Amino acid sequence: MGLFGALGIDPRNVVFSSDTSEEQGRQFGKGRGTVDCCYPVKCISGHYGELVFGQKQKLDILFSPMIYTLPSFMSGHVARTLTCPRVMAAPENIKAGFLKEADVFAEAGIKYVTPFVSLDEPPLVPKQLFEGFQGVLPGLTREEMAKAVGEGYQALHAFNDRLRRKSREVLEWCAREDRACLLVLARPYHMDPGIGHEIEVDLQAYGYPILWMQYFPTDPDLMDWAFGEDIRAGFIKSPFDIRDVWPSSYSSNTNEILWGAKVAARIPWIACVVRLSSYECGMDQPTYTPVQQIIERSGTLFFSFQDLDSTKPAGSVKIRVETITHYLEKYAREIIARKKAAMAPGCPLAQR
Amino acid sequence: MTADAERMTERSERGLCPRNSGPGAPGADGPATRWGGLGEERRSLPPRLVAVDVGSTTVKAVMVEDGKVGWQDYQRHNTRQAEKVVEFLGRMESEAGLTPGRDRVFFTGSGAGFIAPLVGGKLIQEVVAVAACVERLHPDVRFVSEIGGEDMKTIFFTATGTGKSKQVYMQSACSGGTGTFIEKTARKLQVPGERLAEMPYAGMSLHKVSSKCGIFAETDANTLVKTGVPVEEIIASLFEAVVYQNLATLTKGNTPMPEVLLLGGPNLFFRGLQEAWRHHLAKLWAQRKIALPEGREPASLINVPAEALYYACLGCVEIGQNEKPEIGIYLGRDKLTWWVEQGQHEQKAKDGARGLIAGEGDLATFVSEYVRPAPSCAERPSVATSVLVGCDFGSTTAKAVVLSEDRELLFSCYALSKGNPIEDAQSLFRQVREGGFADVAGLALTGYGKDLLKDVLGADVGVVETVAHATAALHFYPDADVICDVGGTDVKIMILRQGTVADFRLNSQCSSGNGAFLQGVAERYNIPLEAYADRAFEAKAMPSLTMGCGVFLQSDIVNQQRKGWSAEEIMAALAAVLPVNVWIYAGQLQNLRSVGRKFVLQGGTHRNMAVVKAQVDFIRGKVPDAEVVLHPYSGEAGAIGAALCAAEWRKGGGASRFRGFDTIAALTYTSTTRAETVCKWCPINCTRTFIDVQLPGAKGRSWSKVPLAEGWERVISGNSCPKGLVEDVNEMRVVKAKLEEVKREYPNVAEMVRKDAFRRVSAAVAR
Repeated sequence: MGLFGALGIDPRNVVFSSDTSEEQGRQFGKGRGTVDCCYPVKCISGHYGELVFGQKQKLDILFSPMIYTLPSFMSGHVARTLTCPRVMAAPENIKAGFLKEADVFAEAGIKYVTPFVSLDEPPLVPKQLFEGFQGVLPGLTREEMAKAVGEGYQALHAFNDRLRRKSREVLEWCAREDRACLLVLARPYHMDPGIGHEIEVDLQAYGYPILWMQYFPTDPDLMDWAFGEDIRAGFIKSPFDIRDVWPSSYSSNTNEILWGAKVAARIPWIACVVRLSSYECGMDQPTYTPVQQIIERSGTLFFSFQDLDSTKPAGSVKIRVETITHYLEKYAREIIARKKAAMAPGCPLAQR
Repeated sequence: MTADAERMTERSERGLCPRNSGPGAPGADGPATRWGGLGEERRSLPPRLVAVDVGSTTVKAVMVEDGKVGWQDYQRHNTRQAEKVVEFLGRMESEAGLTPGRDRVFFTGSGAGFIAPLVGGKLIQEVVAVAACVERLHPDVRFVSEIGGEDMKTIFFTATGTGKSKQVYMQSACSGGTGTFIEKTARKLQVPGERLAEMPYAGMSLHKVSSKCGIFAETDANTLVKTGVPVEEIIASLFEAVVYQNLATLTKGNTPMPEVLLLGGPNLFFRGLQEAWRHHLAKLWAQRKIALPEGREPASLINVPAEALYYACLGCVEIGQNEKPEIGIYLGRDKLTWWVEQGQHEQKAKDGARGLIAGEGDLATFVSEYVRPAPSCAERPSVATSVLVGCDFGSTTAKAVVLSEDRELLFSCYALSKGNPIEDAQSLFRQVREGGFADVAGLALTGYGKDLLKDVLGADVGVVETVAHATAALHFYPDADVICDVGGTDVKIMILRQGTVADFRLNSQCSSGNGAFLQGVAERYNIPLEAYADRAFEAKAMPSLTMGCGVFLQSDIVNQQRKGWSAEEIMAALAAVLPVNVWIYAGQLQNLRSVGRKFVLQGGTHRNMAVVKAQVDFIRGKVPDAEVVLHPYSGEAGAIGAALCAAEWRKGGGASRFRGFDTIAALTYTSTTRAETVCKWCPINCTRTFIDVQLPGAKGRSWSKVPLAEGWERVISGNSCPKGLVEDVNEMRVVKAKLEEVKREYPNVAEMVRKDAFRRVSAAVAR
């Protein structure tokens, strides 16, 4: 919204496809599927279809960038912050389903804009987007785009900061009350109710605050308390360095998941980690064992929900959730105490 | 021709003409006396025509002499198809003068393929046979439905210029719509065959039963029983499902026109099924405005000939008599007898794997390692001693155990689930009381009934199944890595780490790998479940069955039967395929080594030692250093785990909320099953039952469509998923409001993301 607002587009004229749902896929994506083993990528057909066929307003542009790198709080501390190649290529792949018989976009009078963007290299982005929108937004100048990209990043940072502050508040409350919270390790799209099935909400209902690794507080005081010792011992160079557990740190989300595991192992009030991953995710597969071992080694409970796809396995989720909450109820106090004892005193979360 | 078959031919040739010195067809000019004393003039008459229909469950045969049926019979073959054919042929020879070398035999049916050539018979496709018979006997018939034990067919006759064209549809891959579909469920409902035959369709209220899959239908029927639907209505619903399935899958856009003929065993024997056909076809004709012949009632246009069973046979005769005279000359029984006695074993030995038991030594080792007398309970303490009770309310049985405060098992009992959890609970507590226990210091529940009954019974702890099973296993084997619980209707694999259930696999949607299937097959062979293992261990070899869906497994079994595998061999094979289904198909665990090396087997199905043997061999094959142990109380593990959790709870020193034996025995309740109780959360529309129990202090449900006064508690049963436990939108609102409160207090970062990201936040404000 920051970007398009700055380009002078009325916010009311920016439409997002709705949350992923089976209904969306059935109604709009049917028959337009393309071969892709990645469930979240498959869902994109439904999103495109909804935007093309399911709108009251007539749309002029369908914007679905091919994201090559992601902005990450770990940038500069890891090798690269690349997206999964399937995700990057998805706009090209999914497009095929809408061109197979006839150019559906052209028929609907929609311009299909899929610029290649390296979001983790902000200086490159204005050029990439400018080129992408050339001929689509007439009269657009390079300067206008550069300014708009700047505002887009500002909006993104503001959003991230707000949620990190919120997460910190939750952690401080846990520290004050000596209560347990749960950390979810998953890819960003698992926050979409149609992909992650809101599994964490079922746990929340038992009275556990839920944090997501993506928005974990990264304040220097907390980072220094959690990782300072490792840095001084020379295992790592910075709090966001994961070379001790994951040397090939190329994939942005994978890096963050591994980092999340390390953080979870160190924060006493994270009594349990819940891992979500989609059906046959090739990016997640190699991380299963290291993530599990890092977390369990610290005595933190670890549960994973794997192979998620279009259906929420309600019965098995219910049993799993009850299993998790049973052990949390039984062991959380013990786990928090043990983890506290293992860490240095003076946790900044417990100061106020 | 394979070497084996050649050997076979050679050998049977010898057997065939023991007294014949030279080559040449026997009988053509031999002395009349050789043919059982028949006179010379007999042989100058046209040959008799024999037709044998070898079906999936029965063998039918007719013998036609001078255009008239002279001999006929049908019998169930109990998978011994070849044996039954030998028997029939023998009887025809002795009772009706069937003569090798002169009379002619024709075969049809799904099991006839390998039998026909052994007696010189000619094979005729079954649908072709039936059609031929129908055309001859019923020239006005335009539509035929033949329902067999494990297949179903439809034939459409359309008048064309010169004659009639036939269109045939058949399906034999799925149990939906076949005789087995009805019988399987009827068996489960304990409806005897004679009663089933007489049960009506007309006038019964119908319920939703899955028509697609026999296994799901059984589950649906179970649910209906639990909600108190009379058996008659369930059976009527099955007939409905069968007709629906036949019309839905086997008409392919054609309209079944009058007149109609219903053939096959189920159509002949089940009065209700005939009524269902009459009802549906009459309705269909009215809807599609089909002109009926003048003065005829729709019902009179749908006929079930008494000879329906033999139509395939009669059709064979019809076709056979037009064949060239040298076709289908009966060779006698010798080759087939040889096949029954020896050939099939040689053939099978080549096809199959070795049996479950590798030899005497293997069995002895296994028995000494695993077969233990049922552990006896510890000595009863005096009545005054306080005890802990754990109950496991499963889908088919409810179990209770009593533990001493020192966690020794004192008593266990079970009740077959009647679908009303209150009654099940009453039955259990009656037994516990009769067992001599009075002072319950802690009560824990597990299984699907735990949430329903927690308040009603005054339980102190509700334990999720996984935890209950893990607790029970860890109590006996603290170093266990994996628990494999195979119950009657579900399979659970629990992977333990840090003393918790870190991961588990649950399969309750699909029947593959569960105990009910094993039981079903044993029942089909009329073998009691207790004798399963002994019979299966007798098998020297066994066929290899394909893992996967229970329905396919079932047809695979039929297939193996056709190849001549016997009951015990198939039972052995079924036990052998169970671990594959459990671990790989249901559990999706390709690499067993990664989950650990100490395996605990529990659950009722592991009482079957054939399954245990197969499990041990399978696991050790994958994990050579595996330690596989059988839980000493495999059937009661869930209840024991619950009781152990009660013991844990007891350490906190609280006083039990147990309502007491008298209160439980005297529980007043009403149950309601009607339109308002049907679950509307998804299109399955489960027929639920609301069981309302009088309970001091309960809040009632004033907002409900079936309102409940204060002082009453509602227990919902008959739902097939957890969603159904929530009554309707009204309750959802109440639940949601409560949930929102919790959520406000315990935030979820993702909800904030969901609220703000990918939304036109500013636009929403502007509106």
